[in-house]
Amino acid sequence: MLRFALTLLLFTLAFGVLSSSPVFSDLILAKVDRRIDLTSQIVRITTSLKVENAGSNPISEILLSFPENQAKHLAYLTATLNEGKGKGKASSGAGLPTEVVIPKDVPDSLTFYSVSLHKGLGKGESLLLDVLAVFTHALEPFPEKISQADIQLLLFQDTAHFLSPYKVMVQSVAVKLPEARVESYTKLEGTKLSGSELKYGPFHNIPPFSYLPIIIHFENNQPFAVAEELVREIEISHWGNVQVTEHYNLFHGGAKSKGEFSRLDYQARPYVRGASAFRRLVARLPPRAHSVYYRDEIGNISTSSLWGDSKKTELEIEPRYPLFGGWRTAFTIGYGLPLRDFLFESDGKRFLNFSFGSPINELVIDTLIVKVVLPEGSKDISASVPFPVKQWQETKFSHLDLVGRPVVVLEKNNVVPEHNEHFQVYYKFNSLSMLTEPLMLIFGFFFLFVACIVYMHADLSISKSSASYLAKVQWEEVQATVQQIHNIISHCLTAHDKLEASLRDLSRTGDVQACKATRKSVDSLLKGVSKDLKPLVTFLQSSPQAAHILPKVEELIAKERDLQERLMAKHTTVVDCYEKKLGGREIENRIASNQQKITSLRQEVDDLMEFIDEI
Amino acid sequence: MAPKAITSPVPDSLYPTLSILTLAIGLVLTASFFIYEATTSRKTRSLAQELTTGAVASVFLGFGSLFLLIACGVYV
Repeated sequence: MLRFALTLLLFTLAFGVLSSSPVFSDLILAKVDRRIDLTSQIVRITTSLKVENAGSNPISEILLSFPENQAKHLAYLTATLNEGKGKGKASSGAGLPTEVVIPKDVPDSLTFYSVSLHKGLGKGESLLLDVLAVFTHALEPFPEKISQADIQLLLFQDTAHFLSPYKVMVQSVAVKLPEARVESYTKLEGTKLSGSELKYGPFHNIPPFSYLPIIIHFENNQPFAVAEELVREIEISHWGNVQVTEHYNLFHGGAKSKGEFSRLDYQARPYVRGASAFRRLVARLPPRAHSVYYRDEIGNISTSSLWGDSKKTELEIEPRYPLFGGWRTAFTIGYGLPLRDFLFESDGKRFLNFSFGSPINELVIDTLIVKVVLPEGSKDISASVPFPVKQWQETKFSHLDLVGRPVVVLEKNNVVPEHNEHFQVYYKFNSLSMLTEPLMLIFGFFFLFVACIVYMHADLSISKSSASYLAKVQWEEVQATVQQIHNIISHCLTAHDKLEASLRDLSRTGDVQACKATRKSVDSLLKGVSKDLKPLVTFLQSSPQAAHILPKVEELIAKERDLQERLMAKHTTVVDCYEKKLGGREIENRIASNQQKITSLRQEVDDLMEFIDEI
Repeated sequence: MAPKAITSPVPDSLYPTLSILTLAIGLVLTASFFIYEATTSRKTRSLAQELTTGAVASVFLGFGSLFLLIACGVYV
């Protein structure tokens, strides 16, 4: 308790110093309503101010002041103009810009934030301003160490008078507590405790820089989940996925646990023997999240459940053990999201639109690192975040990368759920770059084929003069020659088919000229063939290895020639008959004997071809 | 200009089917390549035909394996 007495003393001193400082400006706060929300580990103070300009000069900025012990815990501050008259109506418009300023003639123990108004506040005018300030680690556990069966008690200190450089006419404070049980609180004139709400005020005509400390000692068994470090990695794949991986390093930031932990007691009466512990966390993931996993270093953690609808996907995770004060745990959550929900294109630039903070409810993050991994080949990268962050770039190597993927890293300390705003990462990307990945795979396979071709073409035998090697080489040559002869003969056979076809055409159309033209072309083709065949046959005759095939080959060539001659004769006869305009029956009689021979020869040639092909 | 959502070149649900189809074609071509290699002698083999079969097979195998990776959840 000594520490609080000391702080109290300090503030009384500060108050003494400050009360002598001059009036800051002509602004007057006509009405100040403060609501302090202590229901979770995060302290949210909503202040609605009615600001009046009592001076003659228009004023365009309003100063907000915070004492040192609050300023260092301040995580988020926003001021909005409240234009609606109704109480239920939410403050409208975007937040006004706020920045830290250091005015003259004020002690160092105060931090000032200046709120800039869009248009100046003229003489006699007034406006309504809503200020939301969010503090982390502002609640102090007292006692600092509790055993498993104890409840968690917290101390909160603030001022009953609104600390402001301006004079305040009427003000009141309402503190919302999580539970009805309050250990003790500073009693002032007009203090009311009803249920879980504690009210101070109203106070009238308070001078600037007035500080009246209040201390509230109350019970709070809400989860004090604090992420010491959270690394969110958002990886974009243009093949249709945004992969999010979140590495949590979590601890319980409440009163430290002392003594031993009894699992039996905890299991039997969890809300009595372990009231301050928390066992589950709920993460609200974007809709259509798929492939969700929850694991740590030693593998999957099975205690999680997932359900979703069209607006959200909810993931409830339970760490491996309940977390008591000061206990820590580390785990990883990952999920995939459809690309079309988060990646957009405008003015030739692509941009990712994603939420900044953690999806876990009511989580305080001491250090948040957001890494956006862009596809390989992205250029002109820039990030736009609605609040100040540290940022730099890195390179990451992943699947099928050549030069690495550019990574935008954003770092921010003291992050609360209010920071779950969308941020954008802009980059330029040529769609053709998407083809690098399949091309790498294609070339990989192609090199395999080329390696096979090279192996099959290379001659790997060591002794080039051995008998078996020479025999093999000769046999291969014979094979190649026979293959060539086979090819030539099959060409001849197609030429024969062409002739037969021209005869059929002739009988149908009677076009003698076309038939003659076909004959001429076939003639020239066949003439070349006999010239080609000669050296091949000579080679076979000279090769000892071809001895057993040679008779068959020669028979084939002879039969083919015979067939060719008969076919020519038939062709000539038919064409002649047509020119003499003879009848169909007459023609058939003339070629009948030839036709029979041709059919049988063709059959023999086909059989021989099949035999040779099998060599 | 209003921002336009970017989608994948192929709908996500088609990846498994596409991968089976292209891999099947690719494997058939690979088979025909090796059959050709085994059945022709060194003298009668045509390099052009080998290279074409190999190239076409590797295009199908390359895209097929990419689609297979994506269908398995490895978004490259």
